[in-house]
Amino acid sequence: MAIRAVEVWKVYGAKDARVEALQGVSIEVEEGERVALLGKSGSGKSTLLNLLGGLDRPSSGGLRVGGHDLDRLSGREMARFRSTTVGIIFQSFNLIPSRSAVENVELPMIFAGRSPRDRRAAARRALEAVGLGARMDHRPDQLSGGESQRVAVARALANRPRVVLADEPTGNLDSQTARQVMSLILDHVHEHAATLVLVTHDEELAAACTERVIRLVDGRIAADTP
Amino acid sequence: MRWFDLLLWALAALGQQKLRTSLTTLGVLFGAFVLAASLSINEGVQETIQREASKGDASRKVTVYPSWRAKRGSNQDEVKVKGRMSPDRRERIRKALADGGGRGGAAERVDLTSDRLETLARLPHVRRLIPIVGGQVVATLGNRPEDASVSSGAGEDPEFRRQIVAGRAFEAEDERSVLLSEMFAYRIGLVDDADIAQVIGKPLRIELWSPEEGPSFEVSLAGRSRGGRGRDEWLALRQLAWQIPAMLDQFRLTGDERSILEKAIRRPSATPAPPSVADDYRVVGIFRALTHEEDKDAWSRFPAGTDLILPRQTAVDLFFRDPARRKEGLAHAVLLIDDMRNVKEVVDRVEALGLRSESIVRFVERERLTYLLIFGGMTCVAAVALLVSALGIANTMLMSVLQRRREIGIMKAVGAADWQLQALFLVEGGLIGLIGGASGLLLAWTISFPGDAWVRSMVRRDMQIDLSGSIFAFPTRIALIVLFFTIGVTVVAALYPARRASKVDPVTALRHD
Ligand SMILES: Nc1ncnc2c1ncn2[C@@H]1O[C@H](COP(=O)(O)OP(=O)(O)O)[C@@H](O)[C@H]1O
Ligand SMILES: [Mg+2]
Repeated sequence: MAIRAVEVWKVYGAKDARVEALQGVSIEVEEGERVALLGKSGSGKSTLLNLLGGLDRPSSGGLRVGGHDLDRLSGREMARFRSTTVGIIFQSFNLIPSRSAVENVELPMIFAGRSPRDRRAAARRALEAVGLGARMDHRPDQLSGGESQRVAVARALANRPRVVLADEPTGNLDSQTARQVMSLILDHVHEHAATLVLVTHDEELAAACTERVIRLVDGRIAADTP
Repeated sequence: MRWFDLLLWALAALGQQKLRTSLTTLGVLFGAFVLAASLSINEGVQETIQREASKGDASRKVTVYPSWRAKRGSNQDEVKVKGRMSPDRRERIRKALADGGGRGGAAERVDLTSDRLETLARLPHVRRLIPIVGGQVVATLGNRPEDASVSSGAGEDPEFRRQIVAGRAFEAEDERSVLLSEMFAYRIGLVDDADIAQVIGKPLRIELWSPEEGPSFEVSLAGRSRGGRGRDEWLALRQLAWQIPAMLDQFRLTGDERSILEKAIRRPSATPAPPSVADDYRVVGIFRALTHEEDKDAWSRFPAGTDLILPRQTAVDLFFRDPARRKEGLAHAVLLIDDMRNVKEVVDRVEALGLRSESIVRFVERERLTYLLIFGGMTCVAAVALLVSALGIANTMLMSVLQRRREIGIMKAVGAADWQLQALFLVEGGLIGLIGGASGLLLAWTISFPGDAWVRSMVRRDMQIDLSGSIFAFPTRIALIVLFFTIGVTVVAALYPARRASKVDPVTALRHD
């Protein structure tokens, strides 16, 4: 089992500003499975993905991702979990503007303590794999949107994560670059038998890339169909 | 995360904001500069004082003088003070009376008698006791008596040997020889160089007159020195002075005037007392006065204007042959201590004997206090500068944490732990401290050269002293202290911003707008 969520609640704010972003979500995802999270804006997709990626902790409920019980992990272990077990891809790329492409890809490996030589080589390989061998030393402002997202994909996948979490990775891209980026992600998932959770509101994309679709409505699972 | 990466990352972060970094570093630089200068001056001045003080034996010398001491056993409570007065004043007067009314009754004089000199010589750490004899004598060369001041000394001091312009210095502490000062020789008529050469080897008669036994009147011929027309004339005038008291009624005086004078003069004795001690000494050399520069050396050996110098032991023997002077003891004596560090202990012992002492240690300690105050003041300035720059660092780093929120969020999302983020900002702060501290040190070191030259020229102009060595000292210790402080201060300043950075919530930081 790659992912298991049991009765996960996430509540933001208090009193009048209280938002129940997730209201008892339970899912199970098998090792190597490709799942799409579908839902309208504000339905809680990103919230769930952030919880799975260890960026946040649930208000209640149990989470087990890639063999780790997330509520048992210390701050340090959680950081390590983020850099090695999962790879997260965001809609808005989230590259560090002052760093070159290759340095951005190196980032998780720096925090994981890999040696400079080792991680530089890995970063180069990852960039070549996404077809950016010629853009290594460009900074994010010198890259197009598609190139930026490919750097982000390379960064997310460089540590060979068992679970790939993608939050609308093509939301800011035109359809052609979107296909390119998606195929890079899917190649990795296939090659390493990784688990993929793809957040999107694009039915077609979900159908094309995943084998199972979970629909969220107002923080609850409305449907779970293969 | 590796140390090397932390360092590189922090350096890169500093490099991205060059202006901000330089401005904050400038504050640290100033603080480090003042701190380094203050430490260095403190160190250098102490070393210079030590060096100047230990030139020759000066730092190991303790000069001992006779003194007064309250008589033991005088019962203070027995003293009664009459009259109506405030209790405070009564107490003051009672105390003064009990102490012997100043120097009168109950206080006793502690003299440097030969017994006491022996006690001093046997004190621990005292290597040598040098009795210093000085006083007025009548010196007669051939037929010319002349008032002369005598000091004692041996010729062992190489600096003194340089003052000998004719003949030789003493070879033994007890040889029966005497050295004449150039001026004294001139005064008694040895004007030509040939006269000087001739006087070597001649006997000089030195007479010690008991001060108590002189006549009540001084008689001299107007416009003449006492030796003006030779010994006979002087003796005749002295004879006259002795006889005046007996002839008071032959002068035209009113009864009042006469009775006032009779009361004032000593009991006239029939004949003038002979000199209490008189002896002949061979003139072995002539010495010149100290030059102006030599005199500026604060620790010169003889009182200025000494006419005659006798070997030490010879002088003591001569003076102690006079019973009055034997009782009175010497004017002072110098103790030579085995090590500068033991001077304080010896001084304490000497003062316990009731004697007064003077040593360069006191002077050095007073100088130290002055420089300690300067040092303290400068250190305060440095502390304030560092504090202000610490606030500046905390402020700018906090701003940069807020500005880099998104970046920090990204770092956390891809696996940066809280401690790693804290470490990044602490290292960033530490680097500012290191760079600022190092440049401050460098600046202080660079400025120390013109600074030293300036102080040196000032000391030369105002005090005519040529300082040896630099008044700035830069041992490694100072560099370590300065860097320790600047890095410490900047790291502490970075603590709060670092905490804030580690507390950034990645989810909120990354929520796209
Ligand atoms: N940090 C937050 N503070 C308060 N409310 C939040 C926060 N993050 C998300 N929400 C709310 O939770 C709900 C779900 O948000 P989100 O998971 O981003 O939805 P989606 O990704 O499906 O568009 C929304 O109503 C949103 O306003
Ligand atoms: Mg979303």
